[in-house]
Amino acid sequence: MIAAAAVLLAGLAAAPLAVGSYHRALILAILADVALAVAWASFSGPTRYLSLATGAFFGAGAYATAMLVGRLAWPLPVVAGAAVAATMALAVGALALRLRGPYFAVFTFGLAELAKHTLIWFETGITGTVGRLILTPPGPNAIYYTVLALAALAVGGALLLRRSRWGYALVAIGADEERAATLGIDTTRVKVGAFALSAAWMGAVGAAMAPRWTYLDPQVFNPVVSFQTVIMALVGGAGTVIGPVVGAVFLGLAGEILLVKFRYLYLLGLGLALIVAVLALPQGLAGIFAGRRAPDAVTATRDA
Amino acid sequence: MSEVRVVKLALVVDVLVGGLTTGGIYALVALGLNLQYGLMRILNVAHGEFLMLGAYATYSMHAAWGMSPLLALLVTGPVGFVVGLVVHRLLYARALASDEGREGIESRSLLLSFGLLFVIQNAALLIWSADLQGYSYLAVPVRMLGTVFPANRLVAAAIALGVGVAFYVFLRRTLTGKAIRALMQEPEGAQLVGIDVPRLHALCFGAGVAMSAVSGSLISMLFELTPFIGLPYTVTALVVVILGGLGNVLGTLLGAVLLGVVETAAVYTAASDVRVIASYAVLALILVLRPAGLLGRA
Repeated sequence: MIAAAAVLLAGLAAAPLAVGSYHRALILAILADVALAVAWASFSGPTRYLSLATGAFFGAGAYATAMLVGRLAWPLPVVAGAAVAATMALAVGALALRLRGPYFAVFTFGLAELAKHTLIWFETGITGTVGRLILTPPGPNAIYYTVLALAALAVGGALLLRRSRWGYALVAIGADEERAATLGIDTTRVKVGAFALSAAWMGAVGAAMAPRWTYLDPQVFNPVVSFQTVIMALVGGAGTVIGPVVGAVFLGLAGEILLVKFRYLYLLGLGLALIVAVLALPQGLAGIFAGRRAPDAVTATRDA
Repeated sequence: MSEVRVVKLALVVDVLVGGLTTGGIYALVALGLNLQYGLMRILNVAHGEFLMLGAYATYSMHAAWGMSPLLALLVTGPVGFVVGLVVHRLLYARALASDEGREGIESRSLLLSFGLLFVIQNAALLIWSADLQGYSYLAVPVRMLGTVFPANRLVAAAIALGVGVAFYVFLRRTLTGKAIRALMQEPEGAQLVGIDVPRLHALCFGAGVAMSAVSGSLISMLFELTPFIGLPYTVTALVVVILGGLGNVLGTLLGAVLLGVVETAAVYTAASDVRVIASYAVLALILVLRPAGLLGRA
């Protein structure tokens, strides 16, 4: 297992030497999706809090890069993007994580819109701009290796988190929050912490991907990013770490092939995929492959 | 001095009547959403997409046969009802029948409706494209209380409020209405006294979609259309439902009018971006401070 992961990682690291710029960009986009989906599932999978804030955190990271990229040496804007998103998640999480079920989902969905319109108001009213140019972007290979590192770290981090006390506490919260609190888990700290950690990954990915667009405006706070991430994780299976990876690769490839030529058809198919995933594959594609093997976090919580 | 007072009075009338016309349409859209959410815990984020479909259907019938939108809503309403029954049967009946507990059902039906939103919106983009489309109907000025309103706005609001009030009377006066109210107050108790819950769920989902489609017919008289007009109405309806309280019909009607007036006042005094920020901020604050709604019980 570890050997296979090492070979895969080495292959991905060598890929820019072997493939052309089109395929490098394709792998880059899929790696970013992998990082986002894994980061989303690391919080929403075990806790079952349905977060639609991915677009907000991704956008915050991207915009942080747009403001900083000329002033800081390359990997630093990525760190700044992670920090901005995590700070935002701490502030929002303290409020929003008191809400359960759809209320939390609606609140987080509104977050991206709120951030977008606040930023539009701020940029037009106070700084007097409508967007930002990234004049000195890092090279394409620098971006590729940054995102590869982020994807690998996100997957590794999610695996570690699952087996830690923190991870078990998250599963306990997803199963029955009141009981978890009674058993002595500081639920607020555990939840907000995991929410901020997952937001940090999303912000970092946003920050790393931003220089690919030379021009950024507040429209980068895109709700489609939120949905796409949820769909990838669910299609793959949000209760595992491998599930979101499978989902992101599967839909990332489908998206790359279809998105440019048949944009609306692709998004329509994404909607259908979500419906099918919810109705027919409650554990995602990973559930099919896992077969009768050990129950994952989702079934474990459902039986609890 | 007196001239200033007249101008101020005209402004107040402007905001009040403008708010009432906006709020009337909000009321109908929100009532449909509240039927689905208050009764079944289906947070249907595709609600506004049915409004968009109703609007485009009305526009298309107007463009093809010159059909009046006031006639068209007699088509979009019943068709919306049937579409609602089918969608309920295909998607939500299965999610509602599962034994996952309330939270599981809510999350699953929310995801299903997000899927539906993507499907409907992009189907509409394939059919009608993203370009602005529209027609003009009853765009004649009506002088009233020292200020001027377009007739179509007044007609649309009157119809919307009329349908909303008629539904309220239906809930109060008929046996089916009584059963629906019972189901809203005490789902398990309702089942115990022999109310056919799945049938009422289907009926109410259909009625919700019908209200959304009729609102769409009305809105097509007032604004130009794109396939993206649905979601903002869903968000507004959500704010209204949360303001008025889940399953609270009267609260929904009052909340809608209140929000309409506040928004109109905000547009008069500040920029339109501030309106969006304000409406999300109101939503966030109410969610955190009073999750049961302004009039609601826990």
